Amino acid sequence: MVKMVLIGLAFIFIACDFSIAAPLSEEQIQKEVREISKTLRCAVCQSESVWESNAELALQMRAIVRERVIAGESGDEIRAYFISRYGDFIVLKPRVRGINHIIWFGPFILLGVAGFLIYRRIRGWIAERTPTAPSEIAPIDDAGREKIAKALQSYNAGEK
Amino acid sequence: MNTAPFAIKTWQVFLPLVIVCLLVVFYHGLYGNPSYIPPVIVNTPAPDFIAPELYEGKAVRLLDYKGKVVMLNFWASWCRECALEHPSLLEINQRYANDPRFVMLGVNYQDKENLAKEYLEQHGNNFQHVRDFSGKISIDYGIYGVPETFVIDQQGMIRHKSIGPILGETYTNLIKEVIEPLLKGESLNG
Repeated sequence: MVKMVLIGLAFIFIACDFSIAAPLSEEQIQKEVREISKTLRCAVCQSESVWESNAELALQMRAIVRERVIAGESGDEIRAYFISRYGDFIVLKPRVRGINHIIWFGPFILLGVAGFLIYRRIRGWIAERTPTAPSEIAPIDDAGREKIAKALQSYNAGEK
Repeated sequence: MNTAPFAIKTWQVFLPLVIVCLLVVFYHGLYGNPSYIPPVIVNTPAPDFIAPELYEGKAVRLLDYKGKVVMLNFWASWCRECALEHPSLLEINQRYANDPRFVMLGVNYQDKENLAKEYLEQHGNNFQHVRDFSGKISIDYGIYGVPETFVIDQQGMIRHKSIGPILGETYTNLIKEVIEPLLKGESLNG
């Protein structure tokens, strides 16, 4: 029983130890800030990330990213904060949800549809141009024979 | 096995439908207002802030105005459109000067203190202004540029966001369709 309690306490100790994040070094902070800022759009620039831009707003956004990284927030949490203020527009990579599905999957669907149509068309062309082998031709039945005879009769009558 | 000579296949219906849908999307993208970005912050709680007042430097806290309709205007001295809308702001504040349920607050954005003060001396002033040193307040409110104006209801919820100068129809609508109903405690949705 005592052993079980000790093992339990050891697990709790290990879990607590891992849950308390060690303070990040300056290098780690800068790396995190760079990675997160690269995914955020500078709201007042033309297709530039917060990391690339030197606009005042971008610098202020970067400062906020840094503040939040130091506070221990994850990249997703920081992005969620900016999205809650500016909407999906603020992230350079749109989230896979709602109408954004069109952006993510639309081109692949169109590619699939186009590929299918091209495949069908090519198959059609091949079928038109390939002569049928005699063995693949179905034998003529009585109705067929009658039809041919009638056609020949009318042809001969026309000749005369 | 007879096939109708002009039988329409499924893909022949589906493909034009897809093309039409795409054209509608492209049309919307091309001819819609490119500067319009749906405000996600409307109908969410107004972010609280504590900021120094422009003249005296005393701390002003948004939460202290809870229970009032707050009109929050972001501006800068270098912004020409802010100067255009400034008389409208003065008029609105004058209109509700005797109404204790209304307060107007200016947030000076990316500016220098002396230039902001000069601007107010030049254009006139009848309401309080705070300074946003680090841009934190502006980012909390999802500001792209100035002027931008928010109207916050008595419960501290953002009920309206206006991008650009408050002039003409925007001015009339702001009073009739936003401030007046909110002062009466009416809902804006519907």
